[in-house]
Amino acid sequence: MMVRKKIKKRAVILGISAALTAMLILTFYIWHQAKSIHLGYSIGSLEEQVLELEREVEKLEAEKSRLLSLERVESIARRELNLVFPEKEQLVFIEKTKDKNRP
Amino acid sequence: MNSKYPKNVGKRIVFVTILTAAWFGLLVFHLVQLQVIHHSEFKSKVEDQSRHIDIIPPKRGTIYDRTGNILARSVPCHSVYYIPSKTEPHPVQLEKIQRLKPVLNLTSRQVQDISRRIRKNQSFIWIKRKIDPSAHTAIKNREIEGIHFLGEMKRVYPQGNLASHLIGRVDIDGKGISGVEQKYNDLLMGKAGKRINLLDAKRREYQFEILEKPHPGRDLTLSIDETIQYIAQHELQKTVQETQAKWGSIIVSNPASGEILAMASCPEYDLNQPLQSVSQLRLNRPIHHLINPGSTFKIIPFATAIESGVIQENETFDCRGKFIQVGYKTFRDHKAMDILTFPEVFTYSSNIGTIQIGRKISQEKFYRMIQSFGFGRPTGIDLPAEEKGIVRPLQNWEKNSWAFLSIGYEISVTPLQILQAMNVIANGGILVPPRVTPDLSYAGEPRRNQPSGDRVVSESTARLLTEYMKRVVREGTGKNAAFDKYDIAGKTGTAQKIDRATGAYSAQAHTSSFMGFFPADHPLLSIIIVIDEPQGGFYGSEVAAPLYRKASSHIVRYLGFPSPGHSIKTIIAADKRESEDSEYK
Repeated sequence: MMVRKKIKKRAVILGISAALTAMLILTFYIWHQAKSIHLGYSIGSLEEQVLELEREVEKLEAEKSRLLSLERVESIARRELNLVFPEKEQLVFIEKTKDKNRP
Repeated sequence: MNSKYPKNVGKRIVFVTILTAAWFGLLVFHLVQLQVIHHSEFKSKVEDQSRHIDIIPPKRGTIYDRTGNILARSVPCHSVYYIPSKTEPHPVQLEKIQRLKPVLNLTSRQVQDISRRIRKNQSFIWIKRKIDPSAHTAIKNREIEGIHFLGEMKRVYPQGNLASHLIGRVDIDGKGISGVEQKYNDLLMGKAGKRINLLDAKRREYQFEILEKPHPGRDLTLSIDETIQYIAQHELQKTVQETQAKWGSIIVSNPASGEILAMASCPEYDLNQPLQSVSQLRLNRPIHHLINPGSTFKIIPFATAIESGVIQENETFDCRGKFIQVGYKTFRDHKAMDILTFPEVFTYSSNIGTIQIGRKISQEKFYRMIQSFGFGRPTGIDLPAEEKGIVRPLQNWEKNSWAFLSIGYEISVTPLQILQAMNVIANGGILVPPRVTPDLSYAGEPRRNQPSGDRVVSESTARLLTEYMKRVVREGTGKNAAFDKYDIAGKTGTAQKIDRATGAYSAQAHTSSFMGFFPADHPLLSIIIVIDEPQGGFYGSEVAAPLYRKASSHIVRYLGFPSPGHSIKTIIAADKRESEDSEYK
């Protein structure tokens, strides 16, 4: 005849608690891993965006340089604004003096 | 024993079993054939179809001028390529290429070439390199099987033709093939990376992995100043057009450091469309073209005469005669002269007087002086393929070679070599090799302008020659180069060119030049101008000297009229803001 061993209620609770805790830890671990991977993807994507934007900035700097090229500026000044170089007599030179009050 | 099955059932079962076993056997055999015997062959086929390794080009370094303006930069772009299908028939594949033809402006010849490559079963075929962003978007939207894009870098030159000969260009793979781009290619280039692309059954990319990261190239700052370069180039172009000359060149330098602030050749070409220009236009004439220097070379016999002490300053030379005979050759002056003193011979650039001086100096000392001034060897400027010039060795001199050499003939030099020789005088007798990258040896402090290099002539000789050169501009042949506020030391030059048909010096074709530095006693800038075969007036005094005056006056205005004693670094880098309201900025 089999004798059923009486398990203490406290042990059961402890067991269940341990199992629940283990599950919780496991769930947290999986969530953490998933989150890390997700963040990894986000970081990768953002890094890609940063690189793209840096390249865009470089492209725009080159474009700015082209637009500000002296040849272009002079040609616009001459053709569109009808500007000319000043004659020698039209130039007035002012001696620069150091202003102590100026920052 | 009675069986509930018909008699031959057992045989049938055996037969089916054998059949099944044979079928399995065949399957196993084929599997072994695929997986073991032909394993490597099929594996590579699968890898070919499902993976593709791309080279990730490194970002080439940016080239800046000394004030931080961009002269050359690499920007991202796309190239389009095709990975042919192993299974699709040729016409179907060609149809895909035909669909790209209008978007990419492909010529029939290019399409034929691609078709030929598909027939040859090439696994990778370029369709077009470095395409426009609009074409990239258009093709991407069509989602054509086997058509892929590779991110590449395209070299752009925002200033177009500014300093085009000096900056140079790159080939389609981004490798420097001329100018600074070639000289500093290793520094600018960087190191390419690799990435593996995984392809699906339709050969579309679905994932990639970086195998090796690319390392970008380093940026490079040149000693060139964008504004000075623009002024020099612009004024040169105007003179070449006005005088209908074949070509012209100009170099602006800081004598103490040897830094080149501007270097230009005219005609010029647009670096963004280099193939639209003929190769002759792409010659950087200040270092690639050899000329007879003519009278600008007279500083050498005069330096030799002063250094060897064979002539007194007040000694006179009879230059009234119309010519002087040396051996079989008759030498003339450009106009009738008088009895001239030693400095006056230089001031009025008398050939007859200079030959009389040349007769008095030792040929050996003269030859050594020519070499000491750096003629006959490259200056060592950090630019590729510099010409070293032609200086005949002393033992090969003809009887009258000394006379020809005294007035700048029988010798071939580059404009840069003449500038370097003049800089010896500007630097108090010290030879400082030219360079197109900034001199970092005295970066920041101390703010001084002391040249360092090999001594060629004594300081007193250099000072004396500077005085003579000042007189050239004040009262001699270089009067047209003078401008307000600064004392200029200069020398004109007019050389007859060899007529290729006759082999003799031509009376029609000349090379006009002017070299000078200012402020004469504390040189800040030295400039040389060479104009080849100007029409109408051809003397250096009437062609090159006026250009010198125009260019110099604009440059000093841009620099805010620097006072003598300032170093170029101080003026251009530190005090740049003060001159921002000048005409060119």
